[in-house]
Amino acid sequence: AFSAGSRLLRGRGGHVVIRFALGGCTNRPFFRIVAANSRRARDGKYLEQLGCLDPLPNAHGEKVAGLNLERLRYWLGCGAQLSRPAEKLLGRPGAGAGMGTGGPGLAPALTASYRAGLAGFLPLHPMTVTGAERLRRRRQREQQPEAAPAEGSAEPGTGT
Amino acid sequence: MLPALRRCRPGPVPLPALAAALGPGAFPGLGPGPFPGLCPAWSPRAVPARGRKTRHDPPAKSKAGRVKLPPPVDPEELLVVLERYRQHRLVLSALRAEFRAEVLQRKREERLAAEGSVEELEEHRRLMAWNEEENARQRARREERLRKEEEEQKRRKLEIAEKQARKMEAFLEEKEKEVLQLQEEAKNFITPENLEARIEECLDNPRNYNFAIDKDGRIVKRTVLS
Repeated sequence: AFSAGSRLLRGRGGHVVIRFALGGCTNRPFFRIVAANSRRARDGKYLEQLGCLDPLPNAHGEKVAGLNLERLRYWLGCGAQLSRPAEKLLGRPGAGAGMGTGGPGLAPALTASYRAGLAGFLPLHPMTVTGAERLRRRRQREQQPEAAPAEGSAEPGTGT
Repeated sequence: MLPALRRCRPGPVPLPALAAALGPGAFPGLGPGPFPGLCPAWSPRAVPARGRKTRHDPPAKSKAGRVKLPPPVDPEELLVVLERYRQHRLVLSALRAEFRAEVLQRKREERLAAEGSVEELEEHRRLMAWNEEENARQRARREERLRKEEEEQKRRKLEIAEKQARKMEAFLEEKEKEVLQLQEEAKNFITPENLEARIEECLDNPRNYNFAIDKDGRIVKRTVLS
């Protein structure tokens, strides 16, 4: 086991990545937000756990996630990359305003300089915004055909 | 541009104007027009997909005429998304730089704290001062020594020069003397003009060289026989 890991790590390449490691049971996923070498298995040995995410909504309809912002900042300062879902999570508006069961999350310690322009810990991911726009447009388009047949049925009704 | 751009098809995605969605300052140089010259460089491939079959299994007969097209892409939306990505990456890199600075600052403080507390710093400074004094003392002594040596050397050089000068003078004097002597002797030389006269003179004054000389340099004119 030791040699397998070291053969991964002894060659050149590989970088630290902050990503989700899947755990849990069948039909019950659970993610751990983890800083690991990019060449490790998804659920394999990691450098440090920086939080967790429960993708299923709880009794109150909330999806709960916990983040250790201090260590996140440390790893980002050391040059860690982020996976796309991790970026999207960290960019969510709730991430900076004090997450749920975070570690010694220094939300109040964030300096005003990069608090002012951001919604969350990191800026919103472009695809989040684009996805929201597309959804909104699709909903509008669905509403218009409903309105058009309603009008169409109403006009002949009033016309005739 | 993105390689994905080349792979995508300019699809008829009916979308209203998206320039307003980005907000002000979205398109600094270009206008929200149709994307110029988008030629998809793809071709329908008949390779097996993933799933139950491996890559070496042939595709099914039902898929013989299948033409796989890439997903449709709206050029306006694409531009908008690219611009958003650019801004996002800008902000991210700035954030990373700040975090990096923070980490380095913390490391520096840790190093300074680990190097020693106030007493150790004090002692360090004291020892450094003592070392400086020692160095200064050594330097003074060394300079003294060097100065003395320099003076010695100068004196020696002067002496040598004087000796040389004296030697030269003596030599010159010798040479002068020799020259004078030669000049004097030159008066007695036999020159082509004097030749005849000197020959006459020699012939007129025969000298007797019939003598011996012993080891002490005395001339012995009397021989054994006579």
